[in-house]
Parts: sequence; structure tokens; C-alpha cells
Amino acid sequence: METDIRFTHRSIVEQCKAGNASSQYELYSRYVDAMYNVGLRFLGNTEDAEDIVQDSFVDAFKNLDNFKYESSFGAWLKRIVINKSINHLKAKRIPVVPMEVHEFHLADEEPIEAEATDIKKVKKGIALLPDGYREIINLYLIEGYDHVEIGEILGISTSTSKSQYHRAKKKLLEIINEL
Amino acid sequence: MDNFEKHIRQNAGQFDEHRADKAKMWAKIAAELNREEPKVIPLWRRPMVRIAASVLLLVGFASFFGWVWLGNGTDNAQYASEELMEIDMYYKDLVSYQVQLVKNNPSLSEENKAEFLSFMDELDAEYDVLKKEMQKNLDNEQVLEAIVGNYKKRIELIENLLRQLNDSKKPDDDYGYTL
Repeated sequence: METDIRFTHRSIVEQCKAGNASSQYELYSRYVDAMYNVGLRFLGNTEDAEDIVQDSFVDAFKNLDNFKYESSFGAWLKRIVINKSINHLKAKRIPVVPMEVHEFHLADEEPIEAEATDIKKVKKGIALLPDGYREIINLYLIEGYDHVEIGEILGISTSTSKSQYHRAKKKLLEIINEL
Repeated sequence: MDNFEKHIRQNAGQFDEHRADKAKMWAKIAAELNREEPKVIPLWRRPMVRIAASVLLLVGFASFFGWVWLGNGTDNAQYASEELMEIDMYYKDLVSYQVQLVKNNPSLSEENKAEFLSFMDELDAEYDVLKKEMQKNLDNEQVLEAIVGNYKKRIELIENLLRQLNDSKKPDDDYGYTL
């Protein structure tokens, strides 16, 4: 089953590797909306999201030989978009984690249990989160990464990812409850 | 993972609510990919250049083997001619440098300069004859010696002239120091 996912669009990917322009467009068409939404979630404005997604597709097509089907093409591409988005935020000195990673948050370590919430409310809540909280919520809840992967993306340890996520989740729930 | 998280992850697709400006973004991606392509494709991959390179290589091999097979006899002649060229260049530079010194010397009258340069012209004429002789018989050691002799005579003449000029200056300089 896992193998099937990894080899999704394999024939198109292979044609792209050979430099076929129409296959490149086909692959682009399949993924552009999803990637644009990822970019938009992290960057918050259409201009930056378009720039980052364009750059990511150019990089992906140029470096397609490095793609060895260790994940699906979509997952590989999404990682490029996210890495570029995070780098863009860092370059703009926008925090990508709630607090400085060397601080201790023992009080926040305890997980908070919450019930399923209306997705519209969650969307509003995420939009109201301060800088630094949104990224880790997006990465864990929407993009579906685990804490090991988030640690790699944000350049923090797995345990820091966990504690920062709990902190962000607590904040999100507070905002949602006030809506 | 609590119900809140599970519910969001299961409905993550609902967060992809925006649509990218597909045509606009593709135009930029395609432009970027096409802009880079000419740099990536090496010149050698162009068919015309390949054919030209093959022809050049063939001609190169043919002339090399032709030279090895047929050209052994002319080895010494080429060597002698190369040696002569080096000697010729060395003396030519030296002579022209010293002639320039004479021409630029302020303490020499125009008359003296003209007289000196007429000597040089005579030696130039002799040199031309020797060079023609040399072309007829490349291995003639006597002609070679005569050419070198011709140069040496010129250099000697110039050196003598410059020494005389410097000597004539000396008493004045000494006089200055005896004060």
C-alpha cells in the first residue's frame, strides 16, 4: 500500500526527468493548488506564497534526479515548499516557534485533551494565532508531520517540538473558546 | 492524539480553500526553466558541433600520424629553425631596446644619431642577406654564426656608444662631488 503511494504519478515524473515540458505542466497542474495553500498557510499573503511555490517548482524540476521515490512526489515537493517558507520567515525575522527554544516550559508539558471542533472555528482560531504559534500548529495538525519531522524542519529537538506544540495548541483552544 | 487533533487531521483537505493563479505562475516557472536550460545543455550536445568536432578530431589524428610516419626526416630542421628563432628573437629585442636608448638620449646630437643609425642600417641589410641564405640552407652553421655575429656587432656598437656618452658625463659629475 505504502509503495503505491510513493510511486504515484511515476510515469509523469519519469517523463519530467527526461525534460518533457508537457509532463512538467501536467505534474504542476496536479500539485499547484495544494502547494499554494501550503505556502499561503505559512506566509499569510498571496504574493509571497506565489513566489515561494514558483521557486519550489523550478527547484523541483531542476533537481528531479535527486527524487528517488523514498516518499511520494507530493510529499517531496511539499517539503521543498515548507522549507522555503520557513527560510523566508526566518529571513524576515518572523518567529517560527512560540518561544526561544532554550527556555523551559515545564508547566506546559501536560497534554490538554479537547473534543472535535468545527473546522470553520479552527480556521478562524489559527488565523488569530500570534506569529510563532501558527507554524507548529500547521505542521502538526494540517500538514500531518510528526515531532521528529517538525524538529528537522524547524531546526529544534523532538522534545522541544512537543512542548512548543502543546503550548501552541493550548493557545489555539483558548482563542477558539472565546469565539 | 485527542479527538480535536484527529478531527482536524481527518479534515485537513478543508484547509485547502484557495486556488492558485495557475497560468500566471506557470508562465514564470516556464520562463525560469527555459532561461536556465541553455546554460545546462553543453555545447557538445548540439549535433552540428558534434559533427564539426568529429571531423576536427579525424583531421587531427590523420595529420599527427602523417607527421609521425613521414615527418621524421624534418625533425632536425624544425629543431634548428626553432632554435634559430629563439636566438633571433633574443637579439632582435636587445638591439631594438638599445637603439631606442640611443634615439632617446638627449646628449646626442641629431647628426651623431643619424650617423650611428646608418651603421645600423648597413648591418640590417647584411642581416637580411644572411637570413635569405639561411632559408636556402637551414643547417648551415656558418650562416647561423654570421647572423649571431651580425647581432653581436650591433650590440657592441651601441654599447660602445652608450659607454662613451656616459664617460663624457662623468667628469662633470665628479666635479660636483669634489666640492
